[in-house]
Order: sequence, then structure tokens, then C-alpha cells
Amino acid sequence: MDKIQERVLEATIADTDVGQGKQEHIPPPTNSKNNPAKPSLYNMTATAEIAMLKPSGNDAVEAKMKTSSSTWAKSSNKLEYLFYKTLLTILYMIYACVRYAKYQYNRTKIQILNLAYSPSNTPQLIRQDVLKFQKLPKRLATILEFKSEGDVGGGLGGLINDGSELVTWSISAGIKHLTLYDYDGHLKKNVDEFRKGIHHKLSKYYGPSNVPKFAIRIPQWNKVYFNLPGTAPSDPDSKKVALEVSLLSNRDGRETIVDLTKTMADLCVNNEMKLSDITMKLVDSELTQLVGPEPDLLLYFGPSLDLQGFPPWHIRLTEFYWEEDNDQVTYSVFIRGLKSYSTCKINVGK
Amino acid sequence: MTDSSSFPGLQQALTACKNLFAHVIRVSDCVPQHVAFIMDGNRRWAKKEHVEVKEGHNAGFHSMSRVLELCYESGVSTATVFAFSIENFKRSPIEVDSLMNLARNGIRQVVQNGEMAEKHGIKINVIGDRSLLPDDVIKEIEAAESITRNNKRAVLNICFPYTGRDELVHAIHQVVQEVKNGDYKSTEVNETIIDDNLYTGHLPPVDLLVRTSGVTRLSDFLIWQVSRKGVNIEFLDCLWPDFGTIKMAWILLKFAFKGTFLSVDPDLEDSERGEEAYLKKSK
Repeated sequence: MDKIQERVLEATIADTDVGQGKQEHIPPPTNSKNNPAKPSLYNMTATAEIAMLKPSGNDAVEAKMKTSSSTWAKSSNKLEYLFYKTLLTILYMIYACVRYAKYQYNRTKIQILNLAYSPSNTPQLIRQDVLKFQKLPKRLATILEFKSEGDVGGGLGGLINDGSELVTWSISAGIKHLTLYDYDGHLKKNVDEFRKGIHHKLSKYYGPSNVPKFAIRIPQWNKVYFNLPGTAPSDPDSKKVALEVSLLSNRDGRETIVDLTKTMADLCVNNEMKLSDITMKLVDSELTQLVGPEPDLLLYFGPSLDLQGFPPWHIRLTEFYWEEDNDQVTYSVFIRGLKSYSTCKINVGK
Repeated sequence: MTDSSSFPGLQQALTACKNLFAHVIRVSDCVPQHVAFIMDGNRRWAKKEHVEVKEGHNAGFHSMSRVLELCYESGVSTATVFAFSIENFKRSPIEVDSLMNLARNGIRQVVQNGEMAEKHGIKINVIGDRSLLPDDVIKEIEAAESITRNNKRAVLNICFPYTGRDELVHAIHQVVQEVKNGDYKSTEVNETIIDDNLYTGHLPPVDLLVRTSGVTRLSDFLIWQVSRKGVNIEFLDCLWPDFGTIKMAWILLKFAFKGTFLSVDPDLEDSERGEEAYLKKSK
């Protein structure tokens, strides 16, 4: 079934050549924005105003208000509506207060944990943390977010920094495969800078003469890069890597499944393939070839879990880990994610 | 909640409270349209309470009807519950049998004397690979579907037996078949077409997933639908039979709160500045 792969790859590669300008830009999810749940004085009053004044779009309510013909019924309906709105506002206020307390608690907890767990640029410390765990994920995936340029740790620089830190921690922890997902694919579009970023970070941890080797795979374009740009790929040693990094974006998710469907439809129309050939096993092997295998653990570094279009086929049994109200890529989340994975029990169906 | 019936009038008061809450949430206009549930933890609950596994599943069924009732009252139009995974056939034959019995009785109960289906106008859909089910269960399912076929207000999808990958392969199959039939060209295939060919096709997109028992996995449930950006995923650290109306109400409130704020996000983009402006105005 190599034919299928070839064709799908053609489609995905062609997509990027024309792609970027032509495709409509869909903004990534706005999870990194101001936490809407974090209330302030202004927010509290705004809640009240919004809850009270925003017209209802609920069909049932509208219809009910319209159908009541007599003025008395109308006003009593309005009164009823107002009563519910008031109650809603009170509920929102209560929720906001509880949420505020919880937010403060979570933030404090995260800050304390960040102090407690610090890799301080030494792989040995990470190694020690990891040795306590009974099992490690073979394949780790993370969802990264491109934050706006103005923020601390925002922009492309921030993203590359986050990515290369994750690479370094993974190498130190002894993980062999790392998948970095960012919705718009900024990392794969700037792969050379990313390679430099990783090299820089690694030499900080391991010393400039002792940098571990790594490979970067971009499944969408079917390309593999080794180490720094400019190093000779012919060197046989350079292919023995400590870590393989896959860079994924939204394009590798549903759209790849759509491409696969198109290709199989073409083959079926031309009678090169039978409908009964399309099985779970075939689809699975094709998607594993095209995107990569399923990760064991997915780390998310946002305040509340949002999968952001991560390849759906690949999250069947993946364990998720994120910390509520956290919005930074930190070592403490990384190590606590590994810890929670080491205790989880996966029993398919049973 | 079942114990509280010993206290006269309390039951009525609780029902009134629930209805009031549902009305209030409805007014917020930010109610999830399609809620999905993974009802995990029935067996652990049975172990904890020292009762038979069967009892655990029964308690889970009651918990489900309570939660669904609140959802429909609050204006949720579609609910999808993960009743049985294709992988669950690996369990002991006795348990599989008792689950099949529960499903048969459960569906019969919902249809025959369940006021729920009538009151809310619920249309029942059983989705998944039915060919794996015993004949008598299929009959019961078909009866339930045909009785509730004309209900329009709300939909209840029961995933039985289901896995997300199986659903996706099934959808791909159908799309390929349609292309072969000449319904459309292969170049026209897109996400929407696949969406429509899923078991949940033509229903509102899933916007909230709730899983109980502290497990943070999807376990092959609605993988295509839930991986979409902006879907709220709630993993709760309680067993399904303990998951009641109050916890669901809190989740609905959270969803509404978030929705109300995000829909006016441009105004609140910079809350610091907003605050200043507000303070100036109030002076």
C-alpha cells in the first residue's frame, strides 16, 4: 500500500508550497488570553452588566415572549425573565468568587512547585527525579502555544525556547521520542532556527563539547533533519541520535485523514483497491506512517485542557496531563506529568 | 439523593431547586448544545460500597438519568453517552451478559415508563457497530428507536458498542462508497463531509465532554469530535454513581460563565485598561 502513502504525501507537501498565503488563516485558540475566570472589580460589575443586559438568543424564550399577546402576560413574562436573569447574575457572582479563590490557590501552588522543582541546567538532577518513577512514556507529546509577541516568553523566540527546553528535558529524562504540536506549525516553518535553539540549550546543559545528537522529523513534508544546520549528514555517527523530535501542526490532524480518504476514494474508483480493503488496520498503519505512532502521554501547558486539533487518530489511549490555571512551559509541569503517568494504569476495555 | 426521600417534602424541594436552576441557566444563553459523557467508575463504586458489580451498573444508570434530566431541562439539545466499548467484550462473559441485560432493561424502561423521553421529547439513537450485539438486544433497540423517532426536541445517543476509531473507519468507508457511486468527486471530500458521515453527523458539534473517576484519557471515545479546538473537557475525580445533579450543575455554570465572558472578549481584551476606564467613569 505504498501507493496510498505516496499520493497522500504528494497532497500534503503540495499543500505547503502554495498553502500559506492562499489558505485562510484561522486564529489559534485563545486559551492563553487573560483568564476569563479571573475576576477583578471591573470584571465583577461587567459580569452583572452582561448578564443583565445581553439580549437572550434563546429561541424558546424569544418565542414565548412573542407569542404572549395580552400586555399583562407580556409584562409578567418579562418579569419572570428578569427574575431569572437576576438569579443568574447572583450565581455568576458566587461562581466568580469561588473561582477567584481557586485561581489564587492554584497559582500559589504552581509557584511553590516551580521553586521546588528546578532543573538548574543540570541533566543529572532531571535524571535523579526520573529514576524514582516505575515507568516512563516511550513517546511524549506536547501542545505548545504561540503567544503574542508582546508577552513574556511570547513570539517565535518564546516558542523556540519552550520547544528546546522540552527537548533538553526529554533527552535528560531518557525519553526517545518527542512530539511537539503547535496549531499553526510555527516550529516546522522555522526549523533551522529551532535546530539552533535546541543546540544552544543542549550545550548549556551538557557543555559545548558534549552535545547529544538529535533528529527532527517533519511528517508533513516527509523530511528529517539531523543536529545543527550545516553539519555533514554523511557522517555515519550523526544518525545515532538520543532523541527523535516530530513537529506536527493542525495540518497533520483531520486534514491528513481527509487526504487519506480522498486517495483511497480515487484508488477505489479506478478499481485499484476494493472497498473491503479499507480496514482499521490499514488506516492505522497508513496514519502511523504519515503522522507517527500514538503518544503515551500528552502534556498541555495551558490553563484548561483544549486539544486544539491534535491528530484525532493518535489520542485513542493517550494519557493527558495539564495543570489548572498554569500558562507556562515549566519543568515542574513536565516532571509532574511524568510522575502521574508512572502511576496510571491502562486497561483497554477491562 | 435516594435517601433524602425519607424526609417529607425534601424531595419536592430538591426538584423545585433543580428546575429553578435549569431555568436560570437557560436564560444565560450559553448552554452547551452537545454534551458527551464517559460514565466511568461503576465497578469501582460497587467495590467501595461492597455490593455486586451489577448493582454498581444499576446505580450508574440512575445517576445517568438524573444528570441527563438536568441537562435537557437546562436546554442541552444532544447528549451522547458511552455505554459500552467494543473493547468491553473482553470482560468476563457474566459481566458482559449482565451489561446486555441492563441495556435491554434500561432502554425498555426509558421508552415504556420513563417520563423523561416523553417529557423532553427525546429521540433515542443507538450508535456503534450493532452487528456485534445479540439479536434480542438489537430488537429492543430498534423498538426504542422507532417509538421515539418522531421526538424532535432533544437527542440521546447511546454508544453501544462503540469506539472512536471504528466510527472513523466507518465514516471513511461511507465517503469512499459515495465517491464511488458518483455522489461527489474525490477532490470535493472535506472535513464537513467526514463529519456528516460520522454516527453523530448532522447533530450539533460536541462542545463539552465529561469523564468521571479521575482517569485522564479519552479511551477511544469521540476522538474526531473532541480533538477539535475549543471543546471543553472536564475530567472529574469522582466515581460515576457519585456524580450527581449538583456536580453537573456546577459544570454547566462554569460553561455558561466562560461562554458569557468569551463572547464579549473584545471589550475585556485588556482587563487592566478596562478597569481603569471603569474607575474613571465611576468617578
